[in-house]
Amino acid sequence: MLTYITRRVLYSIPVIFVASFLLFAFVRATFDPTAHLRASRTAAEAIKSERKRLNLDKPTVVQYSDWLKKFVRGDWGTSERTHERVFAMIRRSLWVTTQLIFWGVLVSALLAIAMGVYSAVRQYSALDYTLTGLSFVALAMPPFWFGLIAIQFLSADLKNVFHLQEPLFYSIGLHKPGVTGLNVDYLRHLALPVMTLTVQIVAGWGRYQRAAMLDVMSADYVRTARAKGVPRRRVIFKHALRNALIPLVTVMALDIGVLFGGLIITETIFSIPGMGRLFFDSLLRGDATVLVSWTVVTALFIVLFNLLADVAYGWLDPRIRFS
Amino acid sequence: MKPLSQRSGYLRIAILLAVLALVAAACGSSSKAKKSSTAASTAPANVPNGGTLTIGAEQEPDCADWIDNCAGASWGTWTMEAHTMPRAFEMVNENGDWVYKPSILLQGEPTLQAGPPQVVTYKINPAAKWSDGTPITSEDFKYTWDQIAHGKNIYDTTGYRDIGSVDTPSPDTAVVTFKNSYGGWKGLFGGQYGVFPSHILAGKDRDALMKNGYTWSGGPWIIQSWQKNVSVTLVPNPNYWGEKPHLDKVIFQFVPDTASEFQNFKTGQVLAIYPQPQPDAVAAIQGGLPDANAYYTADTANLEALWFNNSKFPFDSKAVRQAIGYSLDRNAIVQRLFGPLGVKNPMNTLDPPILKQFTDTSAWSQYKLDLKKVDSVMTADGWAKGSDGFWAKGGKRADIEIKTTAGNKRRELTEQIIQDQLKAAGFNVTTNNQKAGDLFGTQLPAGDFEVGLYAQVSTQLDPADCALFCSSNIPTAANGNTGQNWQRVNIPAVDPLLATVDSALDLSTRATADKQAMKILADNNVALPIDPLPNILLWSKRIVGQVTDHPIFSMFWNMNTWGLK
Repeated sequence: MLTYITRRVLYSIPVIFVASFLLFAFVRATFDPTAHLRASRTAAEAIKSERKRLNLDKPTVVQYSDWLKKFVRGDWGTSERTHERVFAMIRRSLWVTTQLIFWGVLVSALLAIAMGVYSAVRQYSALDYTLTGLSFVALAMPPFWFGLIAIQFLSADLKNVFHLQEPLFYSIGLHKPGVTGLNVDYLRHLALPVMTLTVQIVAGWGRYQRAAMLDVMSADYVRTARAKGVPRRRVIFKHALRNALIPLVTVMALDIGVLFGGLIITETIFSIPGMGRLFFDSLLRGDATVLVSWTVVTALFIVLFNLLADVAYGWLDPRIRFS
Repeated sequence: MKPLSQRSGYLRIAILLAVLALVAAACGSSSKAKKSSTAASTAPANVPNGGTLTIGAEQEPDCADWIDNCAGASWGTWTMEAHTMPRAFEMVNENGDWVYKPSILLQGEPTLQAGPPQVVTYKINPAAKWSDGTPITSEDFKYTWDQIAHGKNIYDTTGYRDIGSVDTPSPDTAVVTFKNSYGGWKGLFGGQYGVFPSHILAGKDRDALMKNGYTWSGGPWIIQSWQKNVSVTLVPNPNYWGEKPHLDKVIFQFVPDTASEFQNFKTGQVLAIYPQPQPDAVAAIQGGLPDANAYYTADTANLEALWFNNSKFPFDSKAVRQAIGYSLDRNAIVQRLFGPLGVKNPMNTLDPPILKQFTDTSAWSQYKLDLKKVDSVMTADGWAKGSDGFWAKGGKRADIEIKTTAGNKRRELTEQIIQDQLKAAGFNVTTNNQKAGDLFGTQLPAGDFEVGLYAQVSTQLDPADCALFCSSNIPTAANGNTGQNWQRVNIPAVDPLLATVDSALDLSTRATADKQAMKILADNNVALPIDPLPNILLWSKRIVGQVTDHPIFSMFWNMNTWGLK
């Protein structure tokens, strides 16, 4: 297993280098880090000195090399937009997004596995049809629409119906200003964005789980276990589910990696200052220094979670690591 | 292990308790029953004290170093600057006109010696002090001028670069001597910047001390915290020498999405919003907002226009520019965009509505939809319609490309309407929208456009039109490509008139010159004004106090006089 993991890690290193170089070159070609200085009356002088400071007059490979050395040391530069250290901005946003992903994945995994197992075990039952239908509806619902509808019904309308001074579920941020920690305020802020995040994921993962479970339930070893009189519940949860989770775990790992940069809509609707919002704000304002580090960090997460998917797959299915 | 039935019983109880806890938490802060108030646009006799007001802010400022390039966002002024920076003059509405009045920072109107050199003597109110109790003095005026006129990365040095010296004969007297006469002097040491505290900032890195918010204040509020990407919290300044705030706290929560902003307003999570006049906002208002007061005004500091590149084909032809003016039904455009807000008339000047005392507000009124006039103007200039129905001259078609900021729904809708109307008049129009940074940072200054659709926003009560239309401000190597005359307007007769607007000290002389300049600019149709971008004020009936719009400082300008019920 150790050889397998080492091999996978070694494969990832060139991928990271190539991806980071391409992203760096792409952002450099698309955004000018001195654009914000053009409005100044002393623009010509300021731009000249900034170009020199950022090595913009040197070839892209040299710029990349300089940038990479600093990046590894944690010196990710200063935002042209806010004059803040980019490392601090990304660390702050990453923590917020990580919380959303943690709760979203936890809720999604539990619901998707439960739905998938039930639908497979009770295939063609009324609830299976219902869950299948709802999954398609959920997959067809754009998150921006669902999020706004959720705010309307679960926040605004509930407040009016019950004549509450404040809504039951909040729709701005993860806490009220000045409040921190894992508390009721946090849960009231978390409910709607997690719901918006999970609705499509549950639908997708649920379909995966159903298909995998159906596959496993028709396998010879499951039939054998049943024939030997192993209780149904034990067959399902002990023998079938463990193997049926293998493809889902892989999909989950891949999806989580993408989520680190992919929550733009959810974070925008619910005013959550995570990675998606940071990207959107930086893109609109052409903040090249933030965009370079942001794209590389999200690429690192994708590579990392791909690696975890490979490792998990190898751990769950020994045939993979020996092939 | 418990039996399943017992476990699910516990589960039900747990869920019930959780729901009850959430409902209890929601009701926890519920006070007395809500009562509908009359429109809060007039000052009530008794404003309640205490309470926290939460406001939705569409945009987070990039930094709080107000004179730096990073501080261009209006929301920075509206959330922090207007409430913490002392200003020499206030902008007030007097009989429908926005004018400067000395603020409580001064003892009265400063003494003006017309000169040359122009000298202004400010007498500072001895009661004026910073939040730490230190008096506001002439040294603060001197420091402010020095930082703006000589600092690095300064957003706009207009006016301050015309000052030769600031003398401080006594702590309460600042004598400002100008190198060049400057008609807009009342906008200095106020306007968009205010006065900075020299006793805190002198000899230090101003940008580092201010960019993430600051703890001092010379206004009614102090910045208690700025939680990046989340909120700004203001609390009363105990040493403010004017009317102290009634509220305990004001929180500006950043809600960047317009649709969610309205939803959050409906849920009561934010009690006031000041949304951009986008189609989403107009639709949401039409949809109804219960328990809310609303006010819309076209008396703003904004002007949206079609800005032509006067040096580029086909807009290097006066006939084409005029024909475009006669091809568009600007009334219909404004009605479509803002009709539901009661704004129906197009702008007919290139100065925003708050500068109407300076300008000829009907200079562009001749430009109305008149396709016969389009034909006569174009034909007289040698243009002819081809078999495809589009105008051409010398084998070259008068095709038009419009650029605006990508993703701005109002501007994209405006483009669609313009495209249809110009096609009917014989002009083929395409759009090529850009990121705001590219459009304003690169393409417009470089002249890489034919028509730009965007707004000019005034930050003071001063036309400053020379910056936009004088030939000396066409971006060239000579001015470091920093001129703001991106339209490349080069009309010799206009230059001296607009120079007079900038330098004359007498309002009527300035107004006369501005009106004459606007007439010439309109005759040449160097740009086509469209609409004033109305301001939208929405606030909960829980807010008590006079809620009115301030075109520069927003609806929150006087929130120290507000209370909550």
